[in-house]
Amino acid sequence: MPQNDKALLLRLKDQNVEFVIIGGVCGVLHGVSLVTFDLDICCRFTGENLRRIEAAVKDLHPRHRLTANKLPLELTDDLCERLTNIYLNTDLGILDCLGSVAGIGDYEQVLQRSIPHSMSYGEFRILSLEALIAAKSAVGREKDLEAVKLLSAIQEEKKKHKDLF
Amino acid sequence: MIDEETLAQMNGKYVCPPDAGPAWRAAMEYGFDMSLIEDALRMTPEQRLEQHQRALDMILELKEAGENHAAK
Repeated sequence: MPQNDKALLLRLKDQNVEFVIIGGVCGVLHGVSLVTFDLDICCRFTGENLRRIEAAVKDLHPRHRLTANKLPLELTDDLCERLTNIYLNTDLGILDCLGSVAGIGDYEQVLQRSIPHSMSYGEFRILSLEALIAAKSAVGREKDLEAVKLLSAIQEEKKKHKDLF
Repeated sequence: MIDEETLAQMNGKYVCPPDAGPAWRAAMEYGFDMSLIEDALRMTPEQRLEQHQRALDMILELKEAGENHAAK
């Protein structure tokens, strides 16, 4: 199963999905050297935005990867109201869409603690370094706390050298 | 004649920057290769993502090759 984060991000952007990049890819963008096998985003859990996500991946055979039968992503108004997260497997890899982030809060709070990041293929919002440290500390799994060690070191370095991205 | 310190560095010894702070030293002492972080910080975020994609592709290719080998 490939994992093409750039292609997934471009699709989300093309559909005007409101989202913030969180998790391991966010850590990579800040400078962490750990490899991550999924793309985590926090997004606004409105019907409109969820339908945009569905449109972004509809031809990628999206399936709810944590359901026993790997149910296909087929949103209904009822589901849009009841879902709080969407964990997907797609032909371009794993895309986990969260409605909130531990240690930060819901999408609005995540958005407030995000920063814009320009790439050659567009501008994306990512969780700020400080917020990512707070989020990973709150989750508290061993792998998250390992990442916190690196993120804290990077934060320290960036405070010393203001020219670092 | 290569001195002992240079030889140690050639053999993989990481030299912590003299101005490294406590978090940097803690991460180093935990066992992280901080030279990789130094390299990453010299890149743009987009370059970091591209490098990550290459590493990810390589890992997934190796995993697939391992699975194919096991299936034979």
